[in-house]
Amino acid sequence: MEKLISASLIGLSQGAIFALMALALVLVFRSTRVVNFAQAGQAMVSTYIGWEVVTRTENYWIALPAAALAGALLAAIIETFLMRPLAKRASHGAIAPVASIIASLGVLGVLHSGAAMIWTSEQKLFLSPVSVNGIEIGSTVYPFSQADILIISTVIIVMSTFAFFFQRTSLGLSLRAAAFQPEISRLAGVKVDRVRTIGWALSGAAGAIVGVLVTPGNYLSPFSLDILLVYGFVAAVIGGLESPQGAALGGLILGMSLSFTSIYVSSGLTFIVPFVVLLLILIVKPKGIFGGGSSRNA
Amino acid sequence: MEGVLEMHSTHRRRLILFIVVGAVLFYFSSRVGILRLYQGSTVSMYVIAIGSIILLTGYSGQISLGNGAFMAIGAYVAVLSQLYLDLPFVLTFFVAVIGAALAGLILGIAAARLTGPYLAGATLALAVALPSLANLFPVLGGEQGLGYDSGNAPTLFGEVARFKWLFWISSFTALITCLILQNILKSRYGRIWKSIRSNSVAAELTGIHASKSKVLAFMLSAGIAGLAGAVLTMSLGTVSPSAFPLSLSFALITGAVIAGISSLLPGSLVGAVVLVGMSQLVGTLTTRFEIGDVLAQNLKELIVSALLILAVVFTPNGPGEKIREMRDHRKHHSHGGHR
Repeated sequence: MEKLISASLIGLSQGAIFALMALALVLVFRSTRVVNFAQAGQAMVSTYIGWEVVTRTENYWIALPAAALAGALLAAIIETFLMRPLAKRASHGAIAPVASIIASLGVLGVLHSGAAMIWTSEQKLFLSPVSVNGIEIGSTVYPFSQADILIISTVIIVMSTFAFFFQRTSLGLSLRAAAFQPEISRLAGVKVDRVRTIGWALSGAAGAIVGVLVTPGNYLSPFSLDILLVYGFVAAVIGGLESPQGAALGGLILGMSLSFTSIYVSSGLTFIVPFVVLLLILIVKPKGIFGGGSSRNA
Repeated sequence: MEGVLEMHSTHRRRLILFIVVGAVLFYFSSRVGILRLYQGSTVSMYVIAIGSIILLTGYSGQISLGNGAFMAIGAYVAVLSQLYLDLPFVLTFFVAVIGAALAGLILGIAAARLTGPYLAGATLALAVALPSLANLFPVLGGEQGLGYDSGNAPTLFGEVARFKWLFWISSFTALITCLILQNILKSRYGRIWKSIRSNSVAAELTGIHASKSKVLAFMLSAGIAGLAGAVLTMSLGTVSPSAFPLSLSFALITGAVIAGISSLLPGSLVGAVVLVGMSQLVGTLTTRFEIGDVLAQNLKELIVSALLILAVVFTPNGPGEKIREMRDHRKHHSHGGHR
């Protein structure tokens, strides 16, 4: 029983992180048809900026929005100066189907090595604003801390804000329109390029929040968030890669399967599980749970 | 009949060219130092590995971020087959190809319907998952890895220095791989892959089985990557998970993109020389300008990644296409520039 509760609680907290990372990937994919493999690097650099703020001000609540802002800015720069010109330049030949993926790998490499030059590869301690020790109920200590509660509640707040923004504001409507039918939206007066940049910026902010949430209690290094890219991608694919709700559900499913296998089977499986889950979902339901009728040849 | 004869003559010309290149390499191997021989082995390894990317991405239009993982599979298969089956090293190479190709087949079947980002993500997950297997199964030797004995040159050649012997094996393997790959890419299969890449619906209408052909490309690419892994292990004399980091897979893609993603020759050679030359350049810069450790350790990755971005933005399909474009442009102008 204790095992069951522990597994569910850890799964919930991990799932929230994966869900937000998946959302960051989904936001970019549905607006520009790019899976942004640099997302892990962008989140990492933003988290370093949050770390700089937190070591100077000793205030986590300033660091969180500062990192989100930095993440949004970085993403907007990458979209404006690299991805947008690239879409026009590499539109033919053998490179065309994979150009954006290759460019995002290049960005990831630059961010990795750049961050390692600025902040060194040594692990940095990111202090948590709340306790990271397990909560004690009766005589048993559960592997679930105030930090996990912070993670889950922040993710819920961020995701509901996004949902409200997309469903209830006119800018959100333009974003959805530009993602769905760029040419027609352009005719209808939507500034598609600008709206796409906003989509990237939102995604960058979401990734930065992931980094600042998950790093306290752990260590920060130029490579520490890379694995989240894989988890986030798997979660996004479970949900169909285009749907924010799907990202949330996908994150939860992946978080639960990870925590249950590591508690009931073996903790050595953490790197294998996402791969197996991904293969299963690709074989059984390749369009994802929330995937629409469109083909996967994007 | 004429066509058949013509094809045979190109085959023969190609074969003669490769024999000449082999003879030249053999001649130079006695006239350069240990460092150059070692770099030559590394270039050969990269040529094979980049070739696997060019087949997959340049021809069949798929992308794999996990060819480093297939290299690891090949390397471990080679080492295990030597350790437990006592195979001679030539056979371990064959077994490595088969092992990695089988792994590629399994993943390829699962991913047959996927293109672009989905395959990229699946192979990325593989590249991340695979090294941790080495710690899960004791037979794989954990973090320390396992040793590999590349043996000595046959006595026929007299006393051959270790690095020269390693260079012979790896460059010979690279030459044969290029010859075979070149023939495959110029064959019916190469044209089938290209047709699927440019328009899979049209290709299927002409009777091509698109997903089968894609799986075949994926399997071949994995097998060739496995061979590169075996060559790497042979020249290192050991195999361990740390030899196959994610950055290796990324470096291979950089090497393949720099000289044009669908140019096997000279593309893969140029890419390989750039990757190896970069290491030396950074080493020289570091000692000459006394760059700090932190900068020096990351300079190579920074340059390689920046190069990748620049290449994909400015010469997306390689410098060859750019030059052709510029020539056409000039011709157009000299003809009066009307229209």
